[in-house]
Amino acid sequence: MNKVQFEQLDETLYHEKLENGLEVYILPKKGFSKTYATFTTKYGSIDNNFVPLGETEPIKVPDGIAHFLEHKMFEKEEGDIFQQFSKQGASANAFTSFTRTAYLFSATGMIKENVETLLDFVQEPYFTEKTVEKEKGIIAQEITMYDDQPDWRLYFGIIENLYKNHPVKIDIAGTVESIQDITAEHLYTCYHTFYHPSNMMLFIVGAVEPESMMAFVRENQMKKTFEKPENIQRIFPDEPVEAAIKERTLEMSVQKPKVFVGIKPEAVNLSGPEMLKHELAAQLAFELLFGRTSDFYHHTYESGLIDESYSFDYSLENGFGYALIGSDTQKPEQLAEEIQNTIERAIEMWPFGQTDLDRVRRKKIGFFLRALNSLEYIANQFTRYAFNEMNLFDVVPTLEALSVEDLQAAFYTVSRESQRSVFTIVPPKKDSE
Amino acid sequence: MFQTINVAKGVNVHVNKTTQFKTINFSIRFKDKLTKEKASARSILANMLQHSNEVYPSHTALRMVLDDLYGTSLYMDSTKRGNEHIVTLNVETVNDEYLSETGVLEKVMNLMYIVLFKPNFEDGLFKQSIFEREKSAIKERIESVFDEKTRYAQQRMLEHALPDHPASISPNGTIDDVESVTNELLVAEYRTMIEENEIEIYAVGDIEPETVASYIREFFHFGDREKSIAAPPLELKKPEEPHVREFEVMKQGKLHLAFYTPITFKDEKFPIMQLMNGVLGGYAHSKLFVNIREKESMAYYVSSSYASQFGLLFVLAGIDANLEEKAVKLILEQLEEVKKGNITDTELDQTKALLTNQLKEALDSARGQIEIYDQYMELSDSFEPDDLIIRWKNVTKEDIAAVARDISLEMTYFLSGKEEDSNE
Repeated sequence: MNKVQFEQLDETLYHEKLENGLEVYILPKKGFSKTYATFTTKYGSIDNNFVPLGETEPIKVPDGIAHFLEHKMFEKEEGDIFQQFSKQGASANAFTSFTRTAYLFSATGMIKENVETLLDFVQEPYFTEKTVEKEKGIIAQEITMYDDQPDWRLYFGIIENLYKNHPVKIDIAGTVESIQDITAEHLYTCYHTFYHPSNMMLFIVGAVEPESMMAFVRENQMKKTFEKPENIQRIFPDEPVEAAIKERTLEMSVQKPKVFVGIKPEAVNLSGPEMLKHELAAQLAFELLFGRTSDFYHHTYESGLIDESYSFDYSLENGFGYALIGSDTQKPEQLAEEIQNTIERAIEMWPFGQTDLDRVRRKKIGFFLRALNSLEYIANQFTRYAFNEMNLFDVVPTLEALSVEDLQAAFYTVSRESQRSVFTIVPPKKDSE
Repeated sequence: MFQTINVAKGVNVHVNKTTQFKTINFSIRFKDKLTKEKASARSILANMLQHSNEVYPSHTALRMVLDDLYGTSLYMDSTKRGNEHIVTLNVETVNDEYLSETGVLEKVMNLMYIVLFKPNFEDGLFKQSIFEREKSAIKERIESVFDEKTRYAQQRMLEHALPDHPASISPNGTIDDVESVTNELLVAEYRTMIEENEIEIYAVGDIEPETVASYIREFFHFGDREKSIAAPPLELKKPEEPHVREFEVMKQGKLHLAFYTPITFKDEKFPIMQLMNGVLGGYAHSKLFVNIREKESMAYYVSSSYASQFGLLFVLAGIDANLEEKAVKLILEQLEEVKKGNITDTELDQTKALLTNQLKEALDSARGQIEIYDQYMELSDSFEPDDLIIRWKNVTKEDIAAVARDISLEMTYFLSGKEEDSNE
């Protein structure tokens, strides 16, 4: 077991890569009575085209399958695994993102029992045609629920606009139609390919004793046999840097229009420290341009062009990413134009210097330290970073090393007009009511 | 957990000195009675005070100072509990032990003083342009509820069931009441808040109780104030129309049921009602989840929640628009099972285990500690989480069945797509 100390942060992280390839991290937190654990596979909605384990030919699977699989992991021959966690006083849950599927629990007691339940239920699949059919009704309601949420539709609408071929444009849960094609056999194929321990990470944080917990996990894994790990071959289509669709509008039951300007980043093939540096630099650049202290924010908020729903974000993964800026607004066209003009002006003449950088850097460091009070943030973000070969605990030193030029350079990769798109949701026209 | 120091009549400082967190959290709560007019005015007020002030006269200036203080988070919110309206100043700052700089804490305390005591006045009134802007911000916030159909359906249901009752009054007030707030009225409301409201001040982090108390005494000068008279119990009138259907352009049907129970937060039997809610629909092992989601595959979400301040129990489900009747029938069947005492040992143990876990987990966050303490203080001055856990432990199935038998369905509300669209 390795031990890494982060003195300034007063944290110690324990790590071991087990024989079967599973990466295990344990972070004890002083004073906490709660423990939070995530068991995550590097498998999400974008992994829909791959060579199944032990085969040679690539296959394509129905949209929404990673999420469907996540649902079905909870059902076992002897019943629902939620029941087991509840008996052990744990709240369990799971989520599927573009790139990850995570199973998790939080509890204040019976931690070893709960860790065992977590490991065992994710490592013992049980799918039948009957249970798969039964789940379709539940997931159809989940999809319908999201269909009625304008903020979700806005988010997916802009991603669909930005991407031409990449599967990030496919809704994570699929559609009511696409999930009808899912079979138990599909689930087993995906499971065997992506749920191998060598493609997974266990993160335990909270009231936990690292030595004995690591031994416990090791022992649990030694009892099980797995096939020899293979490199997973995932196939992604070519994707142009330009946004696929410039502009689209959707009618929905909303009280006022909503708009997002999306920008497709150029730098989507990064990983490790380079990716961390780029992502943080771009985030600080967007903070300066569009954050609460920016001229843009001041001007658009005071004039009523944006409201409390305003948000901006820059996020990067391997193969895709996006910057999003938007708000509820009575004047979506004007707001989209102001956003684009702000970007244009920053390209013509970069307006920020050292003092500006120092200020947003402090803000970001403070945010990060506050986030370290959250066990959920630590486990989920650490895993996300690690899957991209970055280390969450490098955030502060990386921030401290950034220069104004780094911010500028990162910003230029997300700034060209051809990379941008606008998606708008408007209330239904009066006469169609 | 918290040490309490009284700094003036009606003003208390509660501090939990702990090294559990990397930050120090403050929460200053101003409590007044809940009416639509008060809620509307006080929501604007909360926005005004967090926007800018005499020392930092623009939003940008204030936010820059916060960024420089290592992204200290400072915001005000407007919430309600029972028949109280609460305006809170929330501040979280990094413990400077983790920084290469010291003195951050004092700057932050000074900033809290400025936010509360140096409003952005011009000739004795709030700056008119900011006043107008924040007035519309609150109206926009109220209007935006419509976009989130689950929240919207819940609000509509409460408005139909209990009009003008604190249960249905939004902590942000109403569009009309916000509209009618004048600058003069807002200044008066501000004075009332500072001079007359009961105030609870919380601090959680590596900080001495006396440090906070003496700072408050020295700089904030809160005078004595009368403790507001304990409000009479809130009566729940029967809804005029017990079954309401409304339509919007949407795909899913949102079913919201309201049940009344005589047991409120202050009742001896409150812990039993918490367990009853858990057995019925609070969790993934609960009867509603197991039977309506897992067995019938009818819903993705179906759950119950207990609004203990009012004695209300809600059941919410997202279902196919054609299945309202079936869903209501199934939900009532599950409640009937609880009333009959058809609860397994496992269901009872699971619910006790999860309630206990939830309470302990909540106490692992500074905000959670403040919320729980602030609420339970109403019951006793010396709240101990373990007392509640022991009370849950002693509850039997028959206790739960007995409180369930006093629950009555009073309102069925269903929001779905247009009638002509629902047969697709």
